Amino acid sequence: MDYTFTKIDFWLNGTRIQDEIPPGQSTFDYLHRKLQLHGTKCSCNEGDCGACTVAIGSAREGAIVYEAVNSCLFPAARLHRKHLITIESLGTPDALHPIQEAMLNHHATQCGYCSPGFVMSAFALLAMKPKPSRDEFLAALEGNLCRCTGYDSILKAMLELGAKGIDPVPAWARKIEPELFSIKTEPQYLQQKSDAIYPACKYLLPQSLEQLFAFWSDHPAAVPICGGTDIMVQVNISRRKFPALLDLTQIPELRSIKLQRDGLHIGATATYSDVYNSGIVKTDYPCFASLIRLIASEQIRNSGSIVGNIANASPIGDSLPLLLVLEASLVLQSTDSQRTIPLKDFFLSYRKTALQPFEIIREIIIPPLPIDAFVRISKAAKRKSVDISTIASAIRIELDSAGQITKSLLAYGGAAAVPMLSFSAPSDMTGKRPSDIDFPKLASQIAAEFTPISDVRGSADYRKQLIANQVIGYLTELSGRNK
Amino acid sequence: MKKEPFHISGKLHLTGSSRFIGDEAPLAGMLYASFLYSPVAHARIISIDSSPALQIPGVKHVITAKDIPGENMIGHVIKDEPLFPEHEIMFLGQPLVMILATDPSIAEEASSRIQLQYEELKPILEIEEADLKEEWYIPERRIVRRNPQPDSLLKLNGRTRSEAQEHFYMETQRSRAIPLEGKQIIVHTATQSTMECQEVIAHVLGIPAHNIIIEVPRLGGAFGGKERNATIWATMAALGAYVSKRPVEVLLPRDHDMKVTGKRHPFLSNWNLAYSPDGRVKSYDIELLSNGGAYADLSIAILERALFHAENIYNIPDIRIRGRACRTNLPPNTAFRGFGAPQGIFVIENIMESLAEKTGLDPFVIRLLNAYQPADKTPYGQEIRQAPMPQIFTRLRQLSSYESLKQEVQDFNASHTHRKQGLGLVPVKFGISFTTALLNQGSALVWVYIDGSVSVTTGGIEMGQELSTKVAIVVSRVLGLPLEQIHVESSNSQRIGNASPTAASTGSDINGNAARIAAEKIRRNLREAASHYFREQFGLDLPEEEFQFQSAEIGHPVTEQRVSFSELVRYAYNQRIALGAYGYYKTPDLHFDRELGQGKPFHYYVWGAALSRIELDLLSGDHHLLGTWIVHENGSSLHPEIDRGQVIGAFIQSMGWCTMEELPVDDKGRYLAVNPSTYKIPGIRDIPEVLELELLTSGSGEASVMGSKATGEPPFIYGFSVFFAIQNAIRSVNPEADLSFPATPEAALKALKL
Repeated sequence: MDYTFTKIDFWLNGTRIQDEIPPGQSTFDYLHRKLQLHGTKCSCNEGDCGACTVAIGSAREGAIVYEAVNSCLFPAARLHRKHLITIESLGTPDALHPIQEAMLNHHATQCGYCSPGFVMSAFALLAMKPKPSRDEFLAALEGNLCRCTGYDSILKAMLELGAKGIDPVPAWARKIEPELFSIKTEPQYLQQKSDAIYPACKYLLPQSLEQLFAFWSDHPAAVPICGGTDIMVQVNISRRKFPALLDLTQIPELRSIKLQRDGLHIGATATYSDVYNSGIVKTDYPCFASLIRLIASEQIRNSGSIVGNIANASPIGDSLPLLLVLEASLVLQSTDSQRTIPLKDFFLSYRKTALQPFEIIREIIIPPLPIDAFVRISKAAKRKSVDISTIASAIRIELDSAGQITKSLLAYGGAAAVPMLSFSAPSDMTGKRPSDIDFPKLASQIAAEFTPISDVRGSADYRKQLIANQVIGYLTELSGRNK
Repeated sequence: MKKEPFHISGKLHLTGSSRFIGDEAPLAGMLYASFLYSPVAHARIISIDSSPALQIPGVKHVITAKDIPGENMIGHVIKDEPLFPEHEIMFLGQPLVMILATDPSIAEEASSRIQLQYEELKPILEIEEADLKEEWYIPERRIVRRNPQPDSLLKLNGRTRSEAQEHFYMETQRSRAIPLEGKQIIVHTATQSTMECQEVIAHVLGIPAHNIIIEVPRLGGAFGGKERNATIWATMAALGAYVSKRPVEVLLPRDHDMKVTGKRHPFLSNWNLAYSPDGRVKSYDIELLSNGGAYADLSIAILERALFHAENIYNIPDIRIRGRACRTNLPPNTAFRGFGAPQGIFVIENIMESLAEKTGLDPFVIRLLNAYQPADKTPYGQEIRQAPMPQIFTRLRQLSSYESLKQEVQDFNASHTHRKQGLGLVPVKFGISFTTALLNQGSALVWVYIDGSVSVTTGGIEMGQELSTKVAIVVSRVLGLPLEQIHVESSNSQRIGNASPTAASTGSDINGNAARIAAEKIRRNLREAASHYFREQFGLDLPEEEFQFQSAEIGHPVTEQRVSFSELVRYAYNQRIALGAYGYYKTPDLHFDRELGQGKPFHYYVWGAALSRIELDLLSGDHHLLGTWIVHENGSSLHPEIDRGQVIGAFIQSMGWCTMEELPVDDKGRYLAVNPSTYKIPGIRDIPEVLELELLTSGSGEASVMGSKATGEPPFIYGFSVFFAIQNAIRSVNPEADLSFPATPEAALKALKL
């Protein structure tokens, strides 16, 4: 088979490397197959266990950030201009890194297969926050599964580290940081033949919007890839093959988050973590920050983007109900034109969207939100963290000074073939006081609008009940009857 | 406080430098295996056409039943399981063809090109149907002790289910086979049983067992899932190496592993119970049915252990325990931590929870009222020598401040409408020994090298339970050496032959004792050397048996003179005194008559109890685990930190089984959750907010190596406390509610509705 390899320029554990990456190859496969670095482990190959966690250092908005990612989902070509840090560089058996020392002292390793992943997740957290809270540790480690220890010893080791406050970044990594700002090299593309079968024939890394559309017109069958947390799962688990993958993440103008007169603009490749860490979001859209805490794991939040969640159009996309009640709209960009459509008109049918060929979602616009709006989200799942929702919902209610509802929006994911706004909620609530509403009656009326399915995550009956119960939960809280 | 030694491989694990099979450099010329798995659960094979696969560049061999030189049979206890089915497909995911190629991506692509024609047959998936059709591997097993009770007693009957559980060892099934000279093949394989792999591979290849070398560095978790489940993959790799004469790697991706390998057995139990108004259980009649899957595997032994644990800690005068393991068209279910005991204990403990409510007695009180006392006998006739339940309950009540906990829960429930709290209690008595008595034997090989460093091999497998650390501790105590001077080796069939699987919690008892015996032989030899040495060097004539080994020195109480261990070793070598020894241990006094259902199957019991407190959201069905308190009796621990890790790890694993891990099967016999995206094991946010564990040193005279007791499986029972706590919260709203297993949010909402 003929392939186009992507020649990239990056740092691996403190050493600068230029290498040719097979198209679509994951960072994990690159480490194991090409570099023969076997310290990083793979247990699920779909970003759900964290055993393959590595840390990536890169320049962003004038700062250096270190982030944990699942190497099984991180396309190796995307390492271009970044610093990949793996377990091999953090301490040796004779000279342990402080994180390793703490875990050893607390007996926080049993079979050892998940241990490198835990070390790397802790490393990335501590690199950004020398004294994390218990909850910050939980958030950073919720994407790392361990089947032996029951986590108690691991958490104890972490809390000890957090109390001490350490800078885990070694001097050799600090030395590279200035270069991460200044590196400007462009990726190269090289023809190669191989018997081995790769996920794609080409992996393209456009560096600007112009280049993106130029590549796309050269390779009309190319599929855009953003965070890759879904496409790479299709590669690894569905064994899907792509003619070409078009990586959006190295186009600087797509990653911005900015507040403008018409609302908050979130660029196509801004990750969940970018949004979570954004000061504007914390002050003006706190509901968004609390939503992101319920989504996926730290590794996925560091890769996946909100726009990707929209483009993927899963009926259960975690961020979609909230974006619907916030009345978000999307700016769609093609080679020479731009158009804006409301998010609620974007989802046409199961996994079908209003995107035209050669068009991308350039950004989301979330209109300004009144400071006293009651906005809440719910996510029902089998497990507290890192689970796909059975039913997800969001509500937005605004009250006038007399306590009457002036605006009400309620949206569900997992309740139909597309994420959907309830049509009866606004008319049934607007103009009323919350205390005048018959909660169970309204709840069952709203549930009747939806036709959820039965699947591995739950039965249709269960979903119906959740749809109703989430309404009751919201109204109970709104009316202050919460107990 | 004395600092416990660290995990002997801890520094390697934490730096990613410990060796796991497959996570290592490829060997020159190595081929990678992929499989054509059956797409249906039950079918007659019409034809298999592999020629399209062979046309792909890089594909070197396509291997089917025809390529097997010996017998196409990997069944062990019962000879019913072929390596590749030749006529009848028995489960969805059964391997039918193995492809060997120069790259795993090529092998995988090739496997999708093979043309399979089959005639689909109706699969049996449910226990009820299999039982009705008498699809049993062997006839019903029973343990009966008749003691007729008056008819006037209160009666209770029911039907209780527990479901399957995926092991989810972090390291998937894998094996690398490398041809050596002649017919020899070395198989690096992730197995709990070197002996079984060796025996089965030799049989399939039709060559003597001494040609097959099984080498196991360590396992990335097993939990029973690599006891029998590993044999097929080791055999595949060996057959591949035999046919291709090249190294062959078999490494299952997670989704394949979960689709095709066996799980914990689902059990269905029908039971009748009679009790007196004061809460004494007088009579218990239970029928335990298990879903064994397509082949017998270990189903019979697992059923047997369920029968042995059906009465848990209770002395029930009139008791009949019956069991039938049923054949279905699912992947053969297999060993999983607890090995049937949890399935048996769950039923009686769930009944005790109901009885507490019916009689109005506190869950602690009703349990203690019925608990074994010293000199009682189990239904299978084993005497209860030690019965520490009163002490354990007292400690647990203190540890958890039970009285105020109970009050807090009551107060909370009285003042909340959308949220309720609940408490759940579970005790355990767990029998230690393989119930197949012949397996209770083990060997160790100890070498003291000329520089005084020590090498220890046992038949035991290191899989995270820290057997190696415990074995090293045993040897270090015998020889008076620091742990760093002792290296515990990989498990290898050439160094230790005929090793029993590392299973049934017996790993440290059997292998620790074998290592102790070997080390004691060397110590005897070194004492002889020491007596010569002291005479020669210091002119002292001292009795051999009084020499003491401590801090890497050998001395004698009557003198200040010392000799370092390494100097004495060199001296002993020069004197031509043996510095290597083989230790053999068999667990004493075990016997069981399967016909009569009577005997002494266990060396001893491990006891303990757990209490959990949860808060349930009545709108979502979600629960939050507020606290768990555990009191666990474990003899005199070799290493309390390791034992804590075992207890807490087992508890969380079992909490996952009881509350979130679900394996739905569709009507075609396909597992629908084959990945962690759909199969949820506990994560770090699922552990209890408060977790307190007290290890109770019992000084038990029955305990095993150096007074310690086994810890692997007994604490697995503690997860039930969470299930019962959820059920307790639900019953505060709906007293008649019956919570189905596992207690997912969906199950909780359903139980609340009734």
